[in-house]
Amino acid sequence: MHRIEVDAEYDVLSLNKRLAKENREFLSKHGVVAINVMGAIGSGKTLLIEKTIDALKNEVKIGAILGDVIAKEDYERVAKHGVKAEPLNTGKECHLDAHLVHHVIEKFGDVDLLFIENVGNLICPVDFDLGENYRVVMVSVTEGDDVIAKHPEIFRLADVIIINKVSLADAVEADVDKMVEDARKLNPKAKIIRMDLKKGIGFEEWLEWLRCALRSRGE
Amino acid sequence: MHELSYAQALLDEVLKLAEENEAKRVTKIRLRIGELLLINPEQLKFCFKAISSGTIAENAEIEIEFIKPEIVCTECGRRFDEVRGLCDCGGIVAVSGGKEFLLMSVEMEVE
Ligand SMILES: Nc1nc2c(ncn2[C@@H]2O[C@H](COP(=O)(O)OP(=O)(O)OP(=O)(O)O)[C@@H](O)[C@H]2O)c(=O)[nH]1
Ligand SMILES: [Mg+2]
Ligand SMILES: [Zn+2]
Ligand SMILES: [Zn+2]
Ligand SMILES: [Zn+2]
Repeated sequence: MHRIEVDAEYDVLSLNKRLAKENREFLSKHGVVAINVMGAIGSGKTLLIEKTIDALKNEVKIGAILGDVIAKEDYERVAKHGVKAEPLNTGKECHLDAHLVHHVIEKFGDVDLLFIENVGNLICPVDFDLGENYRVVMVSVTEGDDVIAKHPEIFRLADVIIINKVSLADAVEADVDKMVEDARKLNPKAKIIRMDLKKGIGFEEWLEWLRCALRSRGE
Repeated sequence: MHELSYAQALLDEVLKLAEENEAKRVTKIRLRIGELLLINPEQLKFCFKAISSGTIAENAEIEIEFIKPEIVCTECGRRFDEVRGLCDCGGIVAVSGGKEFLLMSVEMEVE
């Protein structure tokens, strides 16, 4: 019996990278713009998707993949709005990965805009590329105004940062300006939106960004 | 606990290499992990231990070397230790690397 050391230089993330690439190729081939909707638990991700569907469903064909530990609730909410939707249960995992998305993505070749709601979590989903075109990260003022500074990676890699429930800021003593500034310092290129979905604040700004993303598809 | 996903992908590759080399036992696993990857090394080791139990990789020692990201201002060239997007000079700070997860080598016992 003797010991040997075998060189590997193996990228442990290679499987996820390969499947994400396949997802991205599928989306691009079919002209689909896919958005990974990430963010804190309960921050308003599903409501954002529901309201966006209602606002845009006569303009573009929308689909939605709802990922959660138990995805049924969010799936039922979104499916009611008359779009194609799929629940994705992550089970014991706290994030979606490219493999899970790969299982259902072929059902969405005919949509223009695909929302993929990730598990509500500011850490675990960060390093799992799904093959999306854009990342939207949503938090709300009720998570505390230091939530952005405490989770730099997810905000650094976002294309859009949404600070939701701003009309509750005073009640929970959250400083929205500080949150915006934290986001801007981490990610000066991101679109930062102050939003309140219940009051309709920031929603037009979001739709404007979305329309722009849809127009630049394929370019 | 997303470390479980990484541990599973790691174990699959380690067992594949062990089998290719007809190993009796895996004794050490050397990894290089980017500091920006949100992995807790203790959780990773814990997960690996749990899922490798009953395989020839159980009790393998995991050795981790961390890789630092490059965080540099694109205007003035200043370097930073912590992630940020803006430099004090107003320039955009570029971050590269720090997201690697590499299995470098596997030490094993063979006949
Ligand atoms: N006051 C207020 N409540 C909101 C706002 N946006 C969402 N909510 C409420 O916040 C709760 C959570 O909203 P969801 O859309 O389920 O949030 P989510 O991020 O999808 O939650 P998970 O999928 O469980 O992580 C619901 O009761 C919403 O009605 C807002 O702008 N203001
Ligand atoms: Mg939801
Ligand atoms: Zn599969
Ligand atoms: Zn986790
Ligand atoms: Zn500078």
